[in-house]
Amino acid sequence: MLKIGIIGAGTMGGMHADCFSEIDGAEVIAVADAREEAAKNVASKYSARTFTNGDDIIALDDVDIVDICLPTPFHKENVLKVAAAGKHVFCEKPIARNLQDGKEMIDACNKAGVKFMVGHVLRYFHEFSAAKNLIDSGAVGKPGVVRTTRAAGHPQGWSNWYANMEMAGGVVLDMIIHDFDFLRWCFGEVERVYAKGLAYSGIPNVDYALVTIRFKSGVIAHVEGSWAHPRGFFVTLEVAGDGGLFEFDSRTSSPLKVSKKSSDSGEGGVEVPQNPVNESPYTMELRHFIQSVAEDKEPEVTGEDALRALEIALAALQSIKTGEPMQFPLI
Amino acid sequence: MKIGMISFAHMHASSYAACLNELDGVEIAGIYNENKNVGQSLTQKFGGKFYSNYNDLLAESPDAVIICSANSDHKEHVIAAAKAGCKHILCEKPISTNIEDAKEMIDQCDENGAKLGIAFPCRYIPAVMEARKSLEENAIGKILAAKTTNHGTMPGGWFVQKEKSGGGAVMDHTPHVVDLLRWFMDSDPVEVYAESGTLFYDMDIDDAGLLTIQFDNGVFATLDTSWSRTKSFPTWGDVTMELIGMEGVISIDAFAQDIDLYSDINVKASWEYWGDNMDSGLIKDFITSVEDPDKNFPITGEDGLKALEVAIAAYKSAEVNKPVKIS
Ligand SMILES: NC(=O)c1ccc[n+]([C@@H]2O[C@H](COP(=O)([O-])OP(=O)(O)OC[C@H]3O[C@@H](n4cnc5c(N)ncnc54)[C@H](O)[C@@H]3O)[C@@H](O)[C@H]2O)c1
Repeated sequence: MLKIGIIGAGTMGGMHADCFSEIDGAEVIAVADAREEAAKNVASKYSARTFTNGDDIIALDDVDIVDICLPTPFHKENVLKVAAAGKHVFCEKPIARNLQDGKEMIDACNKAGVKFMVGHVLRYFHEFSAAKNLIDSGAVGKPGVVRTTRAAGHPQGWSNWYANMEMAGGVVLDMIIHDFDFLRWCFGEVERVYAKGLAYSGIPNVDYALVTIRFKSGVIAHVEGSWAHPRGFFVTLEVAGDGGLFEFDSRTSSPLKVSKKSSDSGEGGVEVPQNPVNESPYTMELRHFIQSVAEDKEPEVTGEDALRALEIALAALQSIKTGEPMQFPLI
Repeated sequence: MKIGMISFAHMHASSYAACLNELDGVEIAGIYNENKNVGQSLTQKFGGKFYSNYNDLLAESPDAVIICSANSDHKEHVIAAAKAGCKHILCEKPISTNIEDAKEMIDQCDENGAKLGIAFPCRYIPAVMEARKSLEENAIGKILAAKTTNHGTMPGGWFVQKEKSGGGAVMDHTPHVVDLLRWFMDSDPVEVYAESGTLFYDMDIDDAGLLTIQFDNGVFATLDTSWSRTKSFPTWGDVTMELIGMEGVISIDAFAQDIDLYSDINVKASWEYWGDNMDSGLIKDFITSVEDPDKNFPITGEDGLKALEVAIAAYKSAEVNKPVKIS
């Protein structure tokens, strides 16, 4: 049985705890959060111990794996500590807020000989792995132009950290980094990035970006990220190649929609599209990490992958700032 | 009213001719076409006399001419019409293949007292007109950004011969949406960045283009011009625009009014369009401006030039991998 400590009991920490409970051979035994209530809420479901300081979890002898679900700028310090304690570490994406930090994290884990994986969970979403399989099978021939959209309202987190550019990096660094990782997974290394966006516009609680990526393979990708869409979260993906084209839109591929009359106004209520699957992508992702640790194998999503996704995000932000395209590699 | 049609090289000409035929008091007086056989069968279909020399057609002093020749021939045909004394000219987009030609066309029309209009039929799609009205009513507040596409199928023919078309997917599919954005925002493009390439077909011309356009009102927009719709795709292409505003989002999928057809005749799904015909709105408006001297056709040569400038800047940008300013 691998024993797990979770640091950060917000949205992701709570969800990861639920996922671990579905994985044989894994058990959450400790949860830490600066907000004791939050830690307790998550810990109590699984009879885990509660802490207000992540260091106390890292210091626990019987913890084998630490799962970092803290706001992005706290990833590095915690991963370094976990590695120094000789424990395996799973860290939510983005790996870090800057490349230097990300590199140090990778180096520390390598040196300590611990397993390290970053939560680029898109690779475990059924629709995205199916898309990758289609591309690899040659269904669209040689890919040419690819379009992705990831749109939502502005996220809410601990002390509104998502609204803080220095902390979260806006929609580019926090959200469409998922698409950057997916695209790199499918189409290889990047040649150039150009982007426009609202990251530095000073408009509160809105962000929006349109990113152009040119891959070394010639593929042109258009990545839309929005924290400006008033209606619920949705994603789209289109891959056009010289022998075919596929498109996916989460708004139309949802197999279940629940529409309720809204109680107050009497007008048509909200429709909540659902996408039930037997095992959530987050569980699949964490299960893979648990397996990697148990079988002493390198996880599928490496620190290097996470660093390269971060590189694309930072290039896009830099391009938004300067108005110039960014040539790769940045580092 | 007598209309002359100069060339059917661009397939839109047939649609314009059909629209003319639906209007009372309007008659296609003559058709010039490069290919005589095709031209003669066109006159059988749409009426009028066939001319193998467009100057002979112009000598008949039609009230207006519609020019749908290959892009690189627009200049010659527009200037000939203006010089022949034709007062109303509707020219297919793009206005020309380069900026110098476009300017000369505009100047020559001015000098000869001819009104030059450019065929941007997308302005006549009801959903597009409604969207513009919503914007005027400030439905989504200040516009911040726009994400647009004008995808297509590779048209072949002279469209993929650079000396005739001036360029591939970027030249073909930049002008419509740029015109709509300018029309929506009353703002001009100032800078363009583009990635372009030949990613779908084995040929010497671009079939993929992704533009990022900065407007002088601060709005940025992307435009995907790619001929990325495959033979198996259910329709020819699209015009989509998503406008991101401070207070909301407007999404346009201009040709979404369709029925999904699964017919064993084609063994392929197809989207059968049932919305209004945008060309008939365009042609009606043009004819109204010919009839009524107080009414100007709203889409000018200048509008055509502004849209062309973006395509030209996009090619430059794709070559140097830098954003290119539009002066
Ligand atoms: N993979 C995904 O799909 C996905 C989705 C959302 C968020 N994320 C990532 O997960 C991470 C966490 O995001 P979230 O949405 O769960 O954030 P959140 O704000 O919901 O939770 C963060 C938690 O950390 C706690 N915290 C803050 N500073 C702390 C400290 N120094 N010590 C202990 N606890 C501290 C807060 O009290 C809060 O409970 C971020 O890196 C984010 O980018 C990933």
